[in-house]
Amino acid sequence: MSRPVPPSDPLGEELDHHLAQLREERLARGDTPEEAERLARAKLGNRTTIHESVFELQPFGGAATRYFRFAARTLFRDKSVYFVAVGILALGMAMSMAMFSLTDAVLLRPLPFPKQNDLFVIWKADPLAGSHIEELAYPELGDLQQNIRSFAHAAVMPTSLYGYARVLQLPGAEPVQIESTPVSHDYFRVLGVTPALGRDFTAGDEHPGAAPVVILSDCVWRTHLGADPKIVGRMIRLNGSGHTVIGVLPPGAEFPRGAGLWIPLGVDERIVTRRGMTFLQAIARVKPGTAPEPISGEVKALFHRLAQEHPDVYSRSQQAVVTPLTEYWVGSARLHLWILLAASLLLLLASNISAANLLLSRTLSRRTEIATRLAIGAGRNQILAQLAAEGALVALLASGAGLVLAEGLIRLLVRWAPPDIPRLASASVDWDSFGFAAALAALAALACTVIPGWAATRLPLESAIREGSGRSSHSRHGNRTRNLFILAQAAVTVVLLAMAALLGTSYYALLTADTGFANRDAVSLNLQMRGPGTLSGVDPQARKAFYTRLLDRLRAAPGVSSAAAVLLRPLEGNIGWDVSYEFESEAGSRESRVLPKANYEVVTPGYFKTVGTPLLEGRDFTDHDTEETEPVVIISEPLADRIRATGHNPIGHRLRLGIGPARWSTVVGITAPARYRNVTQPGADLFVPCRQAAPPTNYVVIRGSRPVQELVSLVRRTLAEFDPSQAAGRVATLGELLDANTARHGFNMIVLTCFGICAAILAATGIYSVVAGAMAARRREIAIRIALGAERSCLVRELVARPLAFSLLGQLLGILCVVSLGAGVSDLLYGVKVTNPRLLTAVVALLFLLSFAAAWRPAWTVAGSDPKSSLRAD
Amino acid sequence: MPEDQHPVDILQGTLNMLILQVLVQGPANGYEIARSIEQRSQDLLQVEHGSLYPALRRLETKGFIKAQWRVSPTNRRARYYALTPAGRKQVTLEHSRWRTLVQAITRVMRPAGA
Repeated sequence: MSRPVPPSDPLGEELDHHLAQLREERLARGDTPEEAERLARAKLGNRTTIHESVFELQPFGGAATRYFRFAARTLFRDKSVYFVAVGILALGMAMSMAMFSLTDAVLLRPLPFPKQNDLFVIWKADPLAGSHIEELAYPELGDLQQNIRSFAHAAVMPTSLYGYARVLQLPGAEPVQIESTPVSHDYFRVLGVTPALGRDFTAGDEHPGAAPVVILSDCVWRTHLGADPKIVGRMIRLNGSGHTVIGVLPPGAEFPRGAGLWIPLGVDERIVTRRGMTFLQAIARVKPGTAPEPISGEVKALFHRLAQEHPDVYSRSQQAVVTPLTEYWVGSARLHLWILLAASLLLLLASNISAANLLLSRTLSRRTEIATRLAIGAGRNQILAQLAAEGALVALLASGAGLVLAEGLIRLLVRWAPPDIPRLASASVDWDSFGFAAALAALAALACTVIPGWAATRLPLESAIREGSGRSSHSRHGNRTRNLFILAQAAVTVVLLAMAALLGTSYYALLTADTGFANRDAVSLNLQMRGPGTLSGVDPQARKAFYTRLLDRLRAAPGVSSAAAVLLRPLEGNIGWDVSYEFESEAGSRESRVLPKANYEVVTPGYFKTVGTPLLEGRDFTDHDTEETEPVVIISEPLADRIRATGHNPIGHRLRLGIGPARWSTVVGITAPARYRNVTQPGADLFVPCRQAAPPTNYVVIRGSRPVQELVSLVRRTLAEFDPSQAAGRVATLGELLDANTARHGFNMIVLTCFGICAAILAATGIYSVVAGAMAARRREIAIRIALGAERSCLVRELVARPLAFSLLGQLLGILCVVSLGAGVSDLLYGVKVTNPRLLTAVVALLFLLSFAAAWRPAWTVAGSDPKSSLRAD
Repeated sequence: MPEDQHPVDILQGTLNMLILQVLVQGPANGYEIARSIEQRSQDLLQVEHGSLYPALRRLETKGFIKAQWRVSPTNRRARYYALTPAGRKQVTLEHSRWRTLVQAITRVMRPAGA
């Protein structure tokens, strides 16, 4: 006997065979074929039922398939409920996953360096002089290396990226500016980066008179040098002098971000020896297994000792600041992202509560169905399994949709987010966060289908069928749960809305803040004169003459209304040229090391007019303020106020600056206050005419009636004509600089506003569904009361009172949370306090009105309905 | 079919026992099992043939019978069921259980005073 292969549908074939035999049996008895067919089928019974009852028997697989098929049918039948629940869950999941993935990419994922937690950045602060960042000088690297035993390697680098760009001149190409960083030779050993090509710096590369060498970033090597594999050992021209390429870094290892070249720092006698030449910060790697806390203490003690050993250079109030590199790298983005993450978790919670509420009301209203099925013989477990399948299906659909949505959201956010957040572009959906969100959604969906379902199966059958959606104690219990959901949701929503309102107000304050720069259309370019050498390499006189000629030419060009030059343009970074100053009226009253500091700018005549900073009193600089004439200075309003406070007229008063020769300069003008470091940070500024100052002017600012692009190419053309070895870079209008500075605030505000709106809609739907559900359950009772002449308004009041009371209670709880936890976000706020009573009242009022409308609408409709039709419907 | 008796449905829970008993004679397919039950009861027991299959699957899961695809006498592919050793033991067990049940029910159902 041969053994045929088992068929794909064994039961089907078995039944076919069975049917055929029955048919033959009937035919043998003399029935007509039609009759035989009919009788055979009758004998066998309903094939679907057979299939189903066999499926039922199979362990998991078959039964589950059947439950899910049935669940899918239920979902489609009650689309309005289930798909809204799925949508709500998916939205909440997507938003929280997207935010988590971004946070993860920026805050939690390791830096491109090995053992990142062993890396620290070191600088100093001087609380007495009110300065957060006091830079180090090169000799302090030696102090650190000799005294701190737990350092494996230490190096120094400039505190800022700007100001060190070099002009790369390649044969047959326009000269380009490339950001570069001069570093001490152990720098890459500190970071733990080994060049992909060539070698690292050695001590032999870093001494005065050493042959100039350079290490390139992967990006520069590819973009400008055609990824030449034989680049090591070749000479390239930087700032007009030849440098030997000794190495190329692996991709993604650029630090600081944006740098394209690294050159040895200690090749200038002045840098290596002078303790007063402060422009550096140290970066150190501790030996493996060293605890971070003692390091900070040791470094602090060292700098304290140094201040005593060198009282002529260091202030006694200086303190070391030791920051883990991870924190330094992420910087102020940290707080912004944590806030967004917290907000997205709240939204996830709100969406879960909302979906749970919907599912709960749906299951409660199916008690009649459940009771009927129990009555006709369905098993309790079968019904629970069925409900669980529905819950699981909702969670599954929501997870799928959420995942797709999250992926899209991440792409959108990455494109839209401010560009200065490091590592943001590497964000992608994080599977842990997906697991978390999906588990939460599954929990909510299952809990809200199975638990009420279980309660329903324990009801006395007969009463459940009769009163189905009725008035038993269980339904009251269900309503209490739903009211608690309303409370929780209102609390979460108020927190989100309050955060959104606070950030919105704060952002508005930022946008309307008087930054002191009225001309958003003024274009600025970095045009630092480059020559060989680390510091400048350009003769100051030649540089000044060059700038004068360049500006004269630009001003004379058609369509240019003004052009000027400045040392450091507004909003270029957190660190600028801060100098100490002393008024004549208080001369000698303070120790020189604790003099106050102000932002120092070197400007050409016409600068204020170009950037749009109003001159409040006195005059602008002119071409007659030269090396030979009396030294003059222009101060900003906060400084003028300090002079006025001493009873003097600021104009004509004299002050002494802690830079350059100790000369007294006369105040000739007062400008409106301007925000050079940060839009949120008002400060005091000192301006010195370029011809009387030693520091160079590095940025050209130009404004005119012509489009920005034309102005930029005009500057580039003029520059190429005067000195083809120079290049302009970092092109930006003042408007762009201002926007970039407030971009994070704007981004946060928009994201949180979206979250807030979503949460408010969810809260309103929640209340609506609770009231509408209660309405449906009490339809008969309400109809009877209307028939008996109950007042419509009375009824409505009774129906909406409880859900609204719970909502209000939740809102107050939320406000309490905001007020008590608000201190943590106050750093993010500008011009508004967390406890602003008007704003919080407005948020509560808005949400209450929304809730009221959502509750009132179904109640009013039901209370006004015709009692006859309601009663007849039963 | 005897004249004075009407066909009855199979008593709940006895179908398994009947199937196992039929298979004592040797392997059979679904149709043959159903027919065998009907014939041996002289058509007094009416089997809804479809209800056999869930019972067969249940017995299979419990390990009392095993199934095999073979070619039937009418030259078609059919699934043949056969008793396993465990199934044979089960048949004796069912026999004694059935006898006890019949005796008990008969005692209860004896007409009063008889």
